Amino acid sequence: MRQAWIIAAKDLKLRVRDRSAFIVGIIAPLGLAAIFSSIFNPIENFDFSATYAVVDQDGGLVATQFVGGLEQFGAGAEIIKVATRKEAIDLADVEPFTSGEGVDAAFVIPPGFSDAIQSDRPAELEVISGPGGVAASVAVAFAEQFASEMTFARIAVASYESLGGTDDRLSAGLRALATPSPVSLEDLHAANKELAGKTFYAAGLAIFFLFFTVQFGVNSLLDERHAGTLRRLMAAPMRRSSIVLGKGIMSFVLGLVSMVVLIVATTLLFGAEWGNPLGVFLLVVGGIVSALGIMGIVAGFAKTAEQAQNYSSMLAVILGFLGGTFFPVGQAGGILADLRFITPHAWFMRGLGDLAGGNVADVFPAVGALLLFGLVTGAIAALGLKKGLQP
Amino acid sequence: MKAFTIAGINLRRFVRDRSNVFWVFIFPILLILVLGSAFGGSSDPRLGIHNAGTGPLAADLVALLRDQPGLRVMGFESRNDLVATTERGEIEAGLLIPGDYDSALQSGVPTSVDLMTRGEEEAQGIRGNVQSILTQQSVVLRAAGFVASEGVGSFAEGLDSAQLASARIVEVTVKVSEVGEQLGFLQLGRFDSSAQQQLLLFVFLTSLSQSAALIQTRRLGVARRMVSTPTPVRTILAGEGLGRYAIALLQGLFIMVGTLLFFNVDWGDPIGAAAILIVFSLVGSGAAMLMGALFDNDQQAGGLGVLFSLGLAALGGCMVPLIIFEFFAPTLFNIAHITPHAWGLEAFDALVIENGTVVDTLPYLGILLAYAAVFYLLAIWRLRRVLTH
Repeated sequence: MRQAWIIAAKDLKLRVRDRSAFIVGIIAPLGLAAIFSSIFNPIENFDFSATYAVVDQDGGLVATQFVGGLEQFGAGAEIIKVATRKEAIDLADVEPFTSGEGVDAAFVIPPGFSDAIQSDRPAELEVISGPGGVAASVAVAFAEQFASEMTFARIAVASYESLGGTDDRLSAGLRALATPSPVSLEDLHAANKELAGKTFYAAGLAIFFLFFTVQFGVNSLLDERHAGTLRRLMAAPMRRSSIVLGKGIMSFVLGLVSMVVLIVATTLLFGAEWGNPLGVFLLVVGGIVSALGIMGIVAGFAKTAEQAQNYSSMLAVILGFLGGTFFPVGQAGGILADLRFITPHAWFMRGLGDLAGGNVADVFPAVGALLLFGLVTGAIAALGLKKGLQP
Repeated sequence: MKAFTIAGINLRRFVRDRSNVFWVFIFPILLILVLGSAFGGSSDPRLGIHNAGTGPLAADLVALLRDQPGLRVMGFESRNDLVATTERGEIEAGLLIPGDYDSALQSGVPTSVDLMTRGEEEAQGIRGNVQSILTQQSVVLRAAGFVASEGVGSFAEGLDSAQLASARIVEVTVKVSEVGEQLGFLQLGRFDSSAQQQLLLFVFLTSLSQSAALIQTRRLGVARRMVSTPTPVRTILAGEGLGRYAIALLQGLFIMVGTLLFFNVDWGDPIGAAAILIVFSLVGSGAAMLMGALFDNDQQAGGLGVLFSLGLAALGGCMVPLIIFEFFAPTLFNIAHITPHAWGLEAFDALVIENGTVVDTLPYLGILLAYAAVFYLLAIWRLRRVLTH
């Protein structure tokens, strides 16, 4: 055991002097996290607001009701501004996505609309909107909602009259509109287990580059073989397993240090919220163990150090992309969303998300999956490494 | 002539390393395939529905929502699945239809459906859609309730008369007109914008990763030996640069032709597209020469190469379209134009979205050429010093 620690300490010193592990493990992910958060934060923090115009050519009661309803619709009046005007609107006034000057959508209430509604003549509202966008779809949804209400009032008043109701249409209609709907839409607030942008990129880049950092340590075994120092180590009075253990300890420490630095730095610099420290620690340990196992397989079966480096970066990139470290693969749905769980990266990200919306116990499935990855791949790696360490 | 020999050797070294085949040819196409099929399609908000009800009204509600434009509806067998999927942000909202939906409505008992959201803006549109469908669906029942509360008839009588009335009454309708053009990138095909972005990203990435080979050439002393032969330094530099340029060009060409054949990507005017590729490859190989000249450790250059090439690509609009920058963060849009990538993408916009020809790309190509010139000049200046001192 003591020998393993000595080997680990010696290798760590080498890595620190070389600075490559430092660049790959800390500088690159931190630099990218800085760039990603500067790009994605403004987009994520962009608040929805819409300006609508109501062109009231009718001037009746219905238009008043419409504007009142529109102001209440959605989350509240502060996000929806309504400008009322009597004159006809030019289609060109309603240019899409012209925040500031134009409007996002215009509602046209045609002349005689209020009368038409009360007399069962055809009545039509018009929505002029830009193509796509939340503001446009909210506008169309509201207009349709309002039209349904008006249709309801007509039906309610018609059946009221057919059963002998005698009150005038307008007041009957207004009372009908005040009748609550038998189906109400209740809002449930779901716990948010989706990582916020700045946390997502910090975490994704950290776990992505962790595999490269760990690979530095694991592949140093092959470097030693290439340089001929491995034979000398094997000739030394210690067990072969101490050599492997030493490399393992060093890779683990390298991975742990880089992760801790990244977690602290992204929290302080970019406001990433990693969540409960204990949960994060468990996930990080799980992540390092799985990376050790997977990179160990490559080192165990590769013939040369160069080959090992090629295969391990290929593997790290494929698993990283598939595991959703760069873009949220889970949102894509379908096969891809299921396939991602063959990667440790996906479990790490899932664990962090569950931790954000829950508590420490919620990371156990993800940590379990990561450790299982490490165990299985570690066992396979051990077979390969044992063969590689025959004199 | 000697320059071509040096370039040839570089190319041979590159092709012999089989992992390069993966990085240069297989990986970009895979990524375009994945990104295009996963995110290139509809960006409409997603509503998950768990229908615990068994009756026709509940089924009808689901069917009406499925027909709603601007909404992607997904069915969920298990309530827990729906809750978890909503919580994890894989869908924007989840709708829970209760088991007694039909029986409650038919007997005039008020009921409710639950809409579960994470309180995000996308959910606003969904909420409006669901509310509007619910209003439509409950018209007759609500009218019956009104009649009963007015005391002119019972709920059952109200139901009958409201049904008769609804068959007779003309519905109030909504006419939707769209004005303005769709945003440029929305007109693009499923794979188009992702293919352009990945082309620039990978040409630059592969070029920078080739700086490692240049560093090895220097570290192993190969470069110095070449200098000791009767070969002028400029020929050696030309050869090294040419080799890198050929690799960048080869990969770019492969991505263009591959995506054209496999995914039918629209690259616009072929001459214009070729011109962009030729010039952008020059920028990439210039950057690689500069990195190869500045660094002495190929592993360090490798790590920084990934940082620079992904970082510049992200900043330059290869991950989020430039138009999104322009709309959400105008400052960022200006910063993006520090990178050659942004100019390359603008050039493609001129070709593909504005249906331009090579002439329309000339301003952008000029800027890209300036980048290439700066990179090459700095690299040559530095390499001359390193190799001859």
